Amino acid sequence: MRGLLATMRNSLAEAGANRLALGSQMAVMAINDIVWAVFWVLFFDRVGTIRGWDADRILLLLAVITSAGGITLGLLANARRVGSMAVEGELDAVLSLPVAPLAYLLLRRVEPTNLGDIAFGLTLFVLAGSPTVGRAAIFVAVVAAAATLMTGFLVLTGSLAFFVGRSEGGELGFHAILLLGSYPVDVFAGVARVMLYTVVPAAFVSSVPARLIDSFDIGQAAVLAAVSVAFAFAGWATFTVGLRRYTSGAVWTRA
Amino acid sequence: MRRRWPTVIARTSVERVLAERGGLLVALGFYIVVVAVLAGLWRVAAAANGGSIAGYTAVALTWYIATSEASTVALNIRLIDDIGNDIGSGAVAVELLRPAPVLGVRVAAELGHALPRLAACGVAGAAVATISGGAPPRPAALLLAAPSLVLAVACNIVAQHAFAASAFWLRNAGSAWFLYQKLVFVLGGMLIPLEALPDWLGSVAAVLPFRSMSYAPARLASGHIEPLLLLEQVGWLAVLLLAASVAFSAGERRLQVVGG
Repeated sequence: MRGLLATMRNSLAEAGANRLALGSQMAVMAINDIVWAVFWVLFFDRVGTIRGWDADRILLLLAVITSAGGITLGLLANARRVGSMAVEGELDAVLSLPVAPLAYLLLRRVEPTNLGDIAFGLTLFVLAGSPTVGRAAIFVAVVAAAATLMTGFLVLTGSLAFFVGRSEGGELGFHAILLLGSYPVDVFAGVARVMLYTVVPAAFVSSVPARLIDSFDIGQAAVLAAVSVAFAFAGWATFTVGLRRYTSGAVWTRA
Repeated sequence: MRRRWPTVIARTSVERVLAERGGLLVALGFYIVVVAVLAGLWRVAAAANGGSIAGYTAVALTWYIATSEASTVALNIRLIDDIGNDIGSGAVAVELLRPAPVLGVRVAAELGHALPRLAACGVAGAAVATISGGAPPRPAALLLAAPSLVLAVACNIVAQHAFAASAFWLRNAGSAWFLYQKLVFVLGGMLIPLEALPDWLGSVAAVLPFRSMSYAPARLASGHIEPLLLLEQVGWLAVLLLAASVAFSAGERRLQVVGG
């Protein structure tokens, strides 16, 4: 555990070593997120309310997904790279250390750009999420659950590369969950909607958490927690089993 | 017969893309998902607003999104960043040794890279739009949309080179690609038809080149037979080519002074 904490401290120190670069990269991502917010405001300004979603609620959704995405892609940046590292044989350095490989891998790298997502998400919640103590507590809890789920999903899809020998599936999974999570799930119908609750659990990283903040329901919260744990476990299990098939690329990296 | 270098370079890029089918399939899968989602959103919105928004029916919006997304997914999303890195690291100096202009070679290579993806997205987009939305509102308009798509991609590639040339002075293009991309998303009409923007923002978009990179082919494919859009694209392509040429010429002189 001490080793993992030291790894996390080291990763954060590395990301913060160049303050100017860190600030500018975070600012760029925040601007990127602002454009999305502008799009949604323009969209709902034009179309009004759609299936229970309006500008206020979509901004809440945006606050959740950017915060959760920022944690996964910023603080646990290697979650997205598991597939390519497995295929390229870049895990040698991890395997030689006396720490849990997946935990070390996830904590080893911080992506400064995506820290801007966290800053944006928190700011957006404060400005547009009508924060109260209760809502803020729910926001923190659902963002933690969404980040856990997203990390588990990315590790799961990335780890499939151990078995199929290609990392494109992981990339597609990454794009799919982020893209689909950016839209309210009620827009979809039929099979697509079922998929968003199962195969690509995008509904659980944005729409469900946003709904919980607006109207908390213990049943839905329990389902969100259970699905998050299930995907985290599935990601860990797939990575662990897949690691047995890992072939070194004789590439010594810092992972 | 001796082939000209732009053709050779573009053809080499095309062959490279076709050889790397995994990348092409991922791009295609991503494109289909994006079109299905975004077009679905707009159809739901149209249905909730009496069947149309800003003059676009649900079917027209589906074809609009399928086309606007194709014009951007076909490109290397981080092109500005890649060019900036090559300039900043000095790697571009090697390209100065070739008996052909750096800008010309790079644009030809990128066009060759984009065209197979554009063709794949075009076919897939037509299929997705037909299945999910319906037949094209005016099939004849697609005859104008096809060349417009190629012009849109060309305008975008050249504009990205003009933007990335800033790296000759700044040493890298940093995250400019992120900002550029967002300009195309909103002011270029990729996410939202320009007619659906507030008037003041629509007026701003009307005088900028970004609309030639996404809105023009999408407007045509959505059933609006407006050939002037093609002329507008040609005009912007000429302006952007001039801007990129001037920027690269000045930058290359500076790079020689620095020493690459």
